[in-house]
Amino acid sequence: MAQCVQSVQELIPDSFVPCVAALCSDEAERLTRLNHLSFAELLKPFSRLTSEVHMRDPNNQLHVIKNLKIAVSNIVTQPPQPGAIRKLLNDVVSGSQPAEGLVANVITAGDYDLNISATTPWFESYRETFLQSMPASDHEFLNHYLACMLVASSSEAEPVEQFSKLSQEQHRIQHNSDYSYPKWFIPNTLKYYVLLHDVSAGDEQRAESIYEEMKQKYGTQGCYLLKINSRTSNRASDEQIPDPWSQYLQKNSIQNQESYEDGPCPITSNKNCDNLLSLDGLDNEVKDGLPNNFRAHPLQLDQSSDPSNSIDGPDHVRSVSSLHETKKGNTGIIHGACLTLTDHDRIRQFIQEFTFRGLLPHIEKTIRQLNDQLISRKGLSRSLFSATKKWFSGSKVPEKSINELKNTSGTTHLTTMPEMAAVSAFLQPGAPRPYPAHYMDTAIQTYRDICKNMVLAERCVLLSAELLKSQSKYSEAAALLIRLTSEDSDLRSALLLEQAAHCFINMKSPMVRKYAFHMILAGHRFSKAGQKKHALRCYCQAMQVYKGKGWSLAEDHINFTIGRQSYTLRQLDNAVSAFRHILINESKQSAVQQGAFLREYLYVYKNVSQLSPDGPLPQLPLPYINSSATRVFFGHDRRPADGEKQAATHVSLDQEYDSESSQQWRELEEQVVSVVNKGVIPSSFHPTQYCLNSYSDNSRFPLAVVEEPITVEVAFRNPLKVPLLLTDLSLLWKFQPKDFSGKDDEEVKQLVTSEPEMIGTEVISEFLVNGEESKVARLKLFPHHIGELHILGVVYNLGTIQASVTVDGIGALPGCHTGKYSLSMSVRGKQDLEIQGPRLNNTKEEKTSVKYGPDRRLDPIITEEMPLLEVFFIHFPTGLLCGEIRKAYVEFVNVSKCPLTGLKVVSKRPEFFTFGGNTAVLTPLSPSASENCSAYKTVVTDATSVCTALISSASSVDFGIGTGSQPEVIPVPLPDTILLPGASVQLPMWLRGPDEEGVHEINFLFYYESVKKQPKIRHRILRHTAIICTSRSLNVRATVCRSNSLENEKGRGGNMLVFVDVENTNTSEAGVKEFHVVQVSSSSKHWKLQKSINLSENKDAKLASREKGKFCFKAVRCEEKEAATQSSEKYTFADIIFGNEQIISSASPCADFFYRSLSSELKKPQAHLPVHTEKQSTEDAVKLIQKCGEVDLNIVILWKAYVVEDSKQLILEGQHHVILRTIGKEAFSYPQKQEPPEMELLKFFRPENTTISSRPSVEQLSSLIKTSLHYPESFNHPFHQKSLCLVPVTLLLSNCSKADVDVIVDLRHKTTSSEALEIHGSFTWLGQTQYKLQLKSQEIHSLQLKACFVHTGVYNLGTPRVFAKLSDQVTVFETSQQNSMPALIIINNM
Amino acid sequence: MSGSFYFVIVGYRDNPVFEMKVLPAGKFIAHAALDLTDENMWLLNNMFLKTVDKFNEWFVSAHVTTGHMRFIMLHDIRQEDGIKNFTDVYDLYMKTVHNIWWVLHQFYVQVSNF
Repeated sequence: MAQCVQSVQELIPDSFVPCVAALCSDEAERLTRLNHLSFAELLKPFSRLTSEVHMRDPNNQLHVIKNLKIAVSNIVTQPPQPGAIRKLLNDVVSGSQPAEGLVANVITAGDYDLNISATTPWFESYRETFLQSMPASDHEFLNHYLACMLVASSSEAEPVEQFSKLSQEQHRIQHNSDYSYPKWFIPNTLKYYVLLHDVSAGDEQRAESIYEEMKQKYGTQGCYLLKINSRTSNRASDEQIPDPWSQYLQKNSIQNQESYEDGPCPITSNKNCDNLLSLDGLDNEVKDGLPNNFRAHPLQLDQSSDPSNSIDGPDHVRSVSSLHETKKGNTGIIHGACLTLTDHDRIRQFIQEFTFRGLLPHIEKTIRQLNDQLISRKGLSRSLFSATKKWFSGSKVPEKSINELKNTSGTTHLTTMPEMAAVSAFLQPGAPRPYPAHYMDTAIQTYRDICKNMVLAERCVLLSAELLKSQSKYSEAAALLIRLTSEDSDLRSALLLEQAAHCFINMKSPMVRKYAFHMILAGHRFSKAGQKKHALRCYCQAMQVYKGKGWSLAEDHINFTIGRQSYTLRQLDNAVSAFRHILINESKQSAVQQGAFLREYLYVYKNVSQLSPDGPLPQLPLPYINSSATRVFFGHDRRPADGEKQAATHVSLDQEYDSESSQQWRELEEQVVSVVNKGVIPSSFHPTQYCLNSYSDNSRFPLAVVEEPITVEVAFRNPLKVPLLLTDLSLLWKFQPKDFSGKDDEEVKQLVTSEPEMIGTEVISEFLVNGEESKVARLKLFPHHIGELHILGVVYNLGTIQASVTVDGIGALPGCHTGKYSLSMSVRGKQDLEIQGPRLNNTKEEKTSVKYGPDRRLDPIITEEMPLLEVFFIHFPTGLLCGEIRKAYVEFVNVSKCPLTGLKVVSKRPEFFTFGGNTAVLTPLSPSASENCSAYKTVVTDATSVCTALISSASSVDFGIGTGSQPEVIPVPLPDTILLPGASVQLPMWLRGPDEEGVHEINFLFYYESVKKQPKIRHRILRHTAIICTSRSLNVRATVCRSNSLENEKGRGGNMLVFVDVENTNTSEAGVKEFHVVQVSSSSKHWKLQKSINLSENKDAKLASREKGKFCFKAVRCEEKEAATQSSEKYTFADIIFGNEQIISSASPCADFFYRSLSSELKKPQAHLPVHTEKQSTEDAVKLIQKCGEVDLNIVILWKAYVVEDSKQLILEGQHHVILRTIGKEAFSYPQKQEPPEMELLKFFRPENTTISSRPSVEQLSSLIKTSLHYPESFNHPFHQKSLCLVPVTLLLSNCSKADVDVIVDLRHKTTSSEALEIHGSFTWLGQTQYKLQLKSQEIHSLQLKACFVHTGVYNLGTPRVFAKLSDQVTVFETSQQNSMPALIIINNM
Repeated sequence: MSGSFYFVIVGYRDNPVFEMKVLPAGKFIAHAALDLTDENMWLLNNMFLKTVDKFNEWFVSAHVTTGHMRFIMLHDIRQEDGIKNFTDVYDLYMKTVHNIWWVLHQFYVQVSNF
């Protein structure tokens, strides 16, 4: 039980006060009415005695009673009707609410911290009113009148007569059988005569004389002169007199509840939900078969059995209505306005006098009489009575003892006895015995079960519970309280359950969960009793326990009830938040239930919004918005493909974010920007972002262009199992327009949704989110004015689709507003889009605290017009053979109102495409004209020129491959470099299938600028991703080696043989029939193919699948003078044709692709990276030596493939490149797959810098000097004439390097092996056997040698060993070079 | 058991871990019975606490594990024997708990495990 203002020691005496009746004459009543009080009311504040009362019991023992209170009441001849009492109690309870801002106690029990108000004033008010309004009953003497005050006024004509009239009236009421009510204690009621005197108006003299008369007639102890109204009412305002009545009379309670009950309550009519979550089942158990009908019993209080009661009970009705009157008229009425403080004292004195002189002697006398009667009577259960009597005799509450004695002695109803016995026992001073709780239990049980009198049982319980509480027996108290809850009175049950809940929480170890449970039960009963505020309070209290523990269904139930109660109490905000709780938490409710919740929520919300139609839109909780997943896209939607035309993919919301590709795009943009800005990326550069998402950099305000739409993608999620229908969904924004003139217009136009001339807003009329579905909505804005835009959120009507569609059966339930309900049920509201930026982690402060950066993706700045480019691809293939050349067309359209310029395209794969070099203008410009036409520029040749090369030259600069330029950035050759608004240009574009087989994703980034410079946006970009699938075609391998023949050389060592192996690796037999190699071209700064050394007659060089072919070409150095005049970027192209058409390899597109592949090849890291600074000279030497072995010959193989597609023969063309760098090393057209490196052991020591790199390989050295022996193949010598045969041999030494080389020629045979000696031993070199020579760059030196033979035979002359070293190097590289080539000579005998 | 019943396993934070035969009132009664369960568990030596609470026609039987998991069973027929199957539940429960995937008190044990 909650704490009470009154202690139990105060409560019990106050519950059993001696009752005194008051009977007033009309005139007396008039006098008191001047104070707006009845006589009884007038006495009320003074009815407690301030002094002690002494009283003797029959045993002459003195009892001291402190704070005795007497209850004076006007005689009402009708017993109060139960209905009226009920109403009174109801009003009392609803009028007493917890004070605003009451500080609640915090109780900690286990994990629970609960805010609980310790006091329950409504319960105390209820108890007080209940005990006071209890009708007197026959079997006991509580609330029976002990005495009667007869009141007349001094101003009456015949006061004495009036007194006797009153006396007769009293007698009539008490003894006439017409009046069964009120009850009187004993027949001989004490009559006390009171003369009221109005001091201000009456004649004092007369009053005194009347009083004298009275004294003589009734005795001094039986009458009193009470002077009141000393103050004239017009003086009332002068003096501030305390108003002691206000606290006793019905408080000026604001009966809000009444007005609430008036209105129709649609919510409660929806029984459906109630049934599902009802606690009714709990209540049924409480009822114990006790019917509401107590009539059959003698202890019957319900006077309704008397039919007259309800009809002719005007008194009672009046009393009740007068109560209402006073209650209502209370406002502004000052009680006791005519009374001075002296009058107050007089009244106090009067009560004192009455009690001491009149009442107490009367009581003492009565007790004695009763006692005598009792003693004289040897009746039934004597022992019991005496025992009881003995108890009572010790009691401190004589008036109760009297009642009790009377009770025991007189009637058959013994029930009250144990109750009173228990109470008395409790009150005994220093009680040695324990409180006899079982007495109470017995009493309660008897009252309830046998007497069927709930009112008495309730009184008993209220007292007993309070007694138990005072002894901290909370669990017993709780049990007692719970036991009395029953169906017949919801209010009582509610109050008792609440008190029981308080008992649980006040236990030594608080029973939190029991508390919560009983609070719920109490709340339920309160709500049934119409006490909505109390119900709400109980549920809220209980909610604290259930919250956040996972009892979701319980939570939902409570929230639902809280929502409903709040709604009926017009606490709409609370209602909304409670319903919101049910809906937004992951609910385990069924779909049906959720649908019901949702509808109810919408209904409440609708009411909220109707209350304030002009107020801000409410925040809707549903559906969820994953605000961080919000994406913003600037620009128009992509156009779908139009026939052959295929629009650039650009950026769209349909693309998934891919960090790798976005990084790639960023790099591409940086690249092009750096090229545009001459190699420097300006500090103000930020990559253009057309689509903002949670991955993009949102720290800056994004820039949007006026007249270009902004699309916001909002990610909705419906957590419910029922579908949600959003209608009229649009974005909510505010816009701060900026004047075109530049001066800032500070006027912020908030929410100018109705001004489409500023910003157009797209509205989605219907957007359905199914149950538990995540769905995105794309909402557009069309800015028509420059300025700052802030996208605030979304606004929509939230509703659900017709219930009967998804949820069956719900419409059939009574009280459910089907059809109309669900159709009209939608609420306009908004949801904010607030995106939290990324967590900052830069400074120390940011690292130690949790700070988030801004996210500005929803705050775009609308800038002035910019050009807008659209790019379309025509005849763009999706599949290519590796190396295939295909011609496509690109259309550039300027769809804006600004001219654009500086159009460039950048790609990581420049070798994939070209717009042609400067020579490209010759090709037909329209795609239709180029149909069935070779991609290449060709010239018809006659077949005679077959094996010799046709020479042309071209500079790489013409093809965009200059020194220092970025080959990835390709300017688009617009005819006038400017694309005017609305203009479109179609340009040819050649594509070459990448060399690697598979699917290729190739990114193009188009860059363009406005002709008019814009401060905010310098450039714009357009993206395109082409996806090309390539299949295998040819595989080309080539080697180059030095030709040993020196014959055709004009004194220079530059003669090479090129071997080209071509393999058809295509395996798709269905498609490609065969490949024809139509032309092999060389391209080099220094070398050129001279002729084909092709011995076979396979001129067409056909290769079917898996076939291989080999070509051999002779290459020569270009003429010196050519090389000299040509710039270093000038390449010589030599075409060797196998067909009858020459493809001009130095023109577009062949040369373009060649240069592109070359530049991409050059970008690859070099194999040798000499880094040793110490041996700088050595490095140089090595480089030099390496250089000797280097060539820069590039081979282009041009082919045609015959393909059958859809039973149509197609000819595809293509080209492969082989870049030859080193003599003797095989090069491939197809990049060789690198073997994945073996797993290496981790090395923990520093690798020593060995001199590996400084030592050139034997191979490299051997290429320094080319040697050849010139001698006759056979030599006839007459051995018989001359035994020695001398043969002159010329040794030609040719320096291939660009440096001076020291050469040592050693003719002596090596004597390392005897076997070798045997072979060579038969001939010897004569003359100088060791030469030391210095050969200048590319010098050829011949040595005349003499070989001496003694026998005929075949000899190998290739024995001279040639050592070479660079002249400026002293000791290094004394490496020999072996001429392993056999040089056989036949010596014949003549 | 012919009558209806409601079974719940409650974690140490008073959070329901597993529920069976959900009836709205059952939750409230079971939850309210936790007070008496907690009280009884220190008074008795057994893990099975028999009937700890009563509300109207509902009897509440409880079983407490060493880890302070409480098995609460609501039943409308007084039947101590029938409640013996707490040990079976306990066995299954222990098996589930020792499963490493079971994150303490945080997710609902799958019904299929029982």
